[in-house]
Amino acid sequence: MKPWSYIQLKLREPIFLGKQLLLLLLLVYIIILGEDYFFIKTTIICLGLTLWFVFNSKIREKMPWIVIIALLLVDLYYSYFWVANHHFMLLFMVLSLMLLTFHKQESIFIKNIQFLVVVVIMASVIQKLSSSQFINGSFYYHALDVGALFKKIFIFFPDSLDIVQNNSDNINVLYKSDPNLREYIVLKPVFNNLKLISVLFAWLTIIIEFIVAAALLWKPKSTVTHLLFIAMIIAVLVTRLETGFMALLSLSGLFLCANKYLRFIYILIILGCIILIITKIGYH
Amino acid sequence: MSKKTCPYNRCFLKFTKVAFSLFYFKMNTTTKQGLLKYGIPSIAIIVVVIQLFLVNTKDLSRWKGGGYGMYTEMHYVYNQIYIPGMSVDSLVKDNPKMKSTLGHLMLMPNKINLKKAAKLVLDTFKKDSIHIQIWKPVVNVEKETYTRVLKEEIRLNKSNL
Repeated sequence: MKPWSYIQLKLREPIFLGKQLLLLLLLVYIIILGEDYFFIKTTIICLGLTLWFVFNSKIREKMPWIVIIALLLVDLYYSYFWVANHHFMLLFMVLSLMLLTFHKQESIFIKNIQFLVVVVIMASVIQKLSSSQFINGSFYYHALDVGALFKKIFIFFPDSLDIVQNNSDNINVLYKSDPNLREYIVLKPVFNNLKLISVLFAWLTIIIEFIVAAALLWKPKSTVTHLLFIAMIIAVLVTRLETGFMALLSLSGLFLCANKYLRFIYILIILGCIILIITKIGYH
Repeated sequence: MSKKTCPYNRCFLKFTKVAFSLFYFKMNTTTKQGLLKYGIPSIAIIVVVIQLFLVNTKDLSRWKGGGYGMYTEMHYVYNQIYIPGMSVDSLVKDNPKMKSTLGHLMLMPNKINLKKAAKLVLDTFKKDSIHIQIWKPVVNVEKETYTRVLKEEIRLNKSNL
């Protein structure tokens, strides 16, 4: 069998493929967070493995998901305000997959993922609209000036990199002074017209996220919807290597998408993100 | 006419019983399906609502708490705890409890967390009084400046505890 034919055959089962990729992502994620609360986590894993050997295949199928949910809940219980936002999304996705092993209705699982991803993106839109720092452009203005965004791209523009370094150093010096003296520093902009660019970029982000969320709600299987969704994911990755979160969004896309070529792109993004997490270039 | 002998009454009772059981059966299935479809996304919405409530009432940073508000405001690491005459870096060094308490203050710079931090510093260093401030960063896009504004402060005496 030719390799592409084999891949095409595999692409016909997005839920099975998605499960495998999610398990791979979870394995990496759980290992990275493994040091925290390791005693409780070790107990859960031992208990899970023991029960997996003891029980029949019906329970065996559910056991990995139950153990993963328990591990994710441990982090959530002890570090509710410290875990990343995608930790919550990861938990909800795993819960949906565990429920799938009970009800066996793929259509319900797909609905779960569709509404979940819409909630996540719409929440992001609401947060941006309700943040004055975001709307007036000061968030992007600061983030660009200190190299918190597009840092990898600044490497090709040495002048911008110098400005970024200079701004960061000035902030560090400011923080060593007594804030009651009300001192301030001047942020040197990395580009011309940064003030206008920051405001436009803020509104562009909101509009794109809103369109993607609406498209996923209205036409979750449409090729156009997934082209927009993939473009948004790649744009976020270019802005900042939020690989953990983008891997989860791509997984949602893989579950929802009907086009085999777009499924293949989602798989490439997910694998790329996982590799970047393993090599610690991306964020987990 | 007694209830037992009334045919209309019996008919009505039978009808309501059948209707109820049908309705109940249908409702049960619909509820089940609805719960399976919307249950998990509803929990996600509840988490977001709680986070937004905490952002607006307890000054929680939008970056945390499951509300998907990262990259919408400056990161909480830019908040600054200032204790006159003391270095915060040396306070948290090798002191996990202090690190956790001051970390919470950075994440949620409100009066409750400020008081907790002040109490802990008082107890740890056996001081008679303490003055703690929490400052937030402000970027003025018009003037291209970066500065800090006072968010909360507390002066706590041991005798007041």
